[in-house]
Amino acid sequence: MQAIKVEHLSKTFRVKRKEKGMKGSIKAILHPQTEEIRAVKDVSFVVEEGEVLAFIGPNGAGKSTTIKMLTGILYPDGGCAKVLGMDPTKKRRQLAYGIGTVFGQKEQLWTHLTPYDNFRFFGAIYDLSEKETEIRIDELSNRFGLGDFINTPVRNLSLGQRIRCEIVASLLHRPKVLFLDEPTIGLDPVVKETVRELIRQMNREEHTTIFLTSHDVGDIEKLCRRIIIVNDGQIVLDDSVEHLKHHYPDHSLEEIITEIYKAKELTAVG
Amino acid sequence: MSTAVKNQLRVCLLSVKYNIMREMVNKVTFLTNISFMILNNASILVQWFILFRLREDVGGYTFREIMMLWGLTAASYGLSHILFARAFSLPELVIKGKLDAYLVQPKNVLISVITSSIRISAIGDLLYGIILMAFCRLGLREWILAALFLVTGTVVFTAFSLLLGSLSFWFLRMDILENQTVMGMVSFATYPDGIFQGLSRFLLYFIIPVGMAVWHPVHVLARFDAGMLLTVLGYTALLAGSSVAVFYRGLKRYASGNLMGART
Amino acid sequence: MRKYRVIYKSVLMENLQYAANVAMGFFSYFVFIYIFVKLWEYMYRMPGERIAGYTKEQMIWYVMMTEMIWFGSNVASVANEVAGDIRSGDIAYRINKPYHYTLYILTKYTGEWSIRLPMYAVFAAVIGMVMVGPLPKFGLREVPVMALCVILGLTINAVFKLCISLFSFWIEDTTPFQWLYDKVILVVGTIFPIEIFPEILQPLFKLTPIYTVCYGPAKLIVDFSPEKCVEILAAQLLYLVGGCGVMLLVYRKGVKKLYVNGG
Repeated sequence: MQAIKVEHLSKTFRVKRKEKGMKGSIKAILHPQTEEIRAVKDVSFVVEEGEVLAFIGPNGAGKSTTIKMLTGILYPDGGCAKVLGMDPTKKRRQLAYGIGTVFGQKEQLWTHLTPYDNFRFFGAIYDLSEKETEIRIDELSNRFGLGDFINTPVRNLSLGQRIRCEIVASLLHRPKVLFLDEPTIGLDPVVKETVRELIRQMNREEHTTIFLTSHDVGDIEKLCRRIIIVNDGQIVLDDSVEHLKHHYPDHSLEEIITEIYKAKELTAVG
Repeated sequence: MSTAVKNQLRVCLLSVKYNIMREMVNKVTFLTNISFMILNNASILVQWFILFRLREDVGGYTFREIMMLWGLTAASYGLSHILFARAFSLPELVIKGKLDAYLVQPKNVLISVITSSIRISAIGDLLYGIILMAFCRLGLREWILAALFLVTGTVVFTAFSLLLGSLSFWFLRMDILENQTVMGMVSFATYPDGIFQGLSRFLLYFIIPVGMAVWHPVHVLARFDAGMLLTVLGYTALLAGSSVAVFYRGLKRYASGNLMGART
Repeated sequence: MRKYRVIYKSVLMENLQYAANVAMGFFSYFVFIYIFVKLWEYMYRMPGERIAGYTKEQMIWYVMMTEMIWFGSNVASVANEVAGDIRSGDIAYRINKPYHYTLYILTKYTGEWSIRLPMYAVFAAVIGMVMVGPLPKFGLREVPVMALCVILGLTINAVFKLCISLFSFWIEDTTPFQWLYDKVILVVGTIFPIEIFPEILQPLFKLTPIYTVCYGPAKLIVDFSPEKCVEILAAQLLYLVGGCGVMLLVYRKGVKKLYVNGG
């Protein structure tokens, strides 16, 4: 079964352009100039259920825009996307029950509350009964080792503890697809390793499909079997990690990715 | 009640509860905020004592009617800032792209957004409003009407602000306009309508809906008038409807990613 | 003295950039004044009528002037900033500088209102002329002394607010007291002239800061007389000296406490 299916997805932003200074401001009112930025151009791919996919690329390549379109935050203006068989733009709320999201740089937790209270809130959001919520909190808190700080206000937690809580919060309702946008950003190596291990475990035990964006090659190497590289809104590579390594036998994954980035840039210039 | 509505309500209640819990982290500040807001409002009574020393009525209002006016204004303003405080600071969320978090939740976006914060001093406003009403010696029927008008007033305040705030999906700097207009509305709502004539009176009934939020209700409380009551109810429904419509129109724009300034 | 002039100048330059933001506040000021114009138009029923000795025009101009002082000097530095400095412990870094902390704050405050107040004065003059018309007894010759009186009023107000903030050395949150002080000034001092209150209360009000902060300056503007002028200026000087004395005393005690207990 296909968890995510994307066909010819495109997104263009129209941005108002303004010249500098007062003169520019007046000009912008009289003759508004818009500039089109094509953030995602004709992107197609399929993610099978239970797959762990790395979606990577340099800043501004269109990763976040794609995730936003897959979760219903942004509407595409070309092509279509199906997540769990649903169109995110049309069935955003229904889809929300089936997916989880963790944005490494944006908190979704209430920082003055304890993780436990937060989880109860998210339980309510996803219509879990009190009892279901309790059972699920117990289960996840054991698995993620939250026992020591589950009753400490989130603002007093370390970044690593906090991101673990973020992930648990997004897993309470047993999503079939989990979107992770830079989940390990800013964590120290040991914590990174724990977080990765937990994500892997989730994938194994609950068969969760994982859609991951990251700058950290370690994340990709440890977690993903498949890799999609986007650049300038287009897919430049879609391959299995194994196959890549086979292709470049003496290189580390990091080197391979850098190679690909460089090669593409060269062709773009040439 | 359908399960969907029940679930939504459960989330809202938790939201309000957590909002209050957040503010109660510092209990002293919490209590002083509330009690000083009550004192703050009460201090304005001095002004009315003085004005009623000069004349029997002010703008056609008796002292009791002024108390009802203040009571309704404070209570509605208070309740709207306890339950729906975010409706009064929507532009900030829109401009900073902070609506994303609500869009990935399987709940009503508008409700989730506007219930996501609270202004603590508003509890003081609400309490003060109720205390003032208690001094007005209302009968049972008036109490029921007052409760109804508290609801409509809260809706009018919230919807009006939401309407202005939603314009930030199209225009920049709406935060200032929203803020100033709502503050202006509250200022007008604490004076009798009899002092305003002509165009300003018309504006204050229909454009900045002070008349619908508090003046008509006070008239109805003082002397029952079914026509006025219906006008208030009709206008409230209309305003609420249009503010919700504008919000969702704007949200579509947000989802199309073509907001001015905001893009990540 | 030179260093305070430099502080003043740099604050002035900094705030000049926010002039547009200041103008945003005109809307609230206008709403307030508009309501009072309407209110007094209702209260005065016969032409030429006087209430508490004031004609309608004087009564409205009185509110416009007190509110101008209020809006024109409504800046955070004397209240929130000082309290914030003390609570966060930043004060320890500030008092080691080669200037007197309280004077530094007052200078900064002066720099802030130097932009706001003139803007409000012009705005008030314009809407006053349009909505109410000129004041009959107003003479341009007296403007300098009126301005002096307004400035002294502002400064006295700042000294009192600073005193309250300095209590942050002892209590955690002084905002409720700031609030209370503001309320007294606002409710008793800005909306009505003192003469309108019951006669038993009037001497009492003359002893409070209200008399020197807002009543005095506004009274001089709407109803100037040389005797009143001398009386108000004398009272202001007295208040200024007394207020500064209290401020310095509280400050010294506070700093001593800081050194004993640490930050």
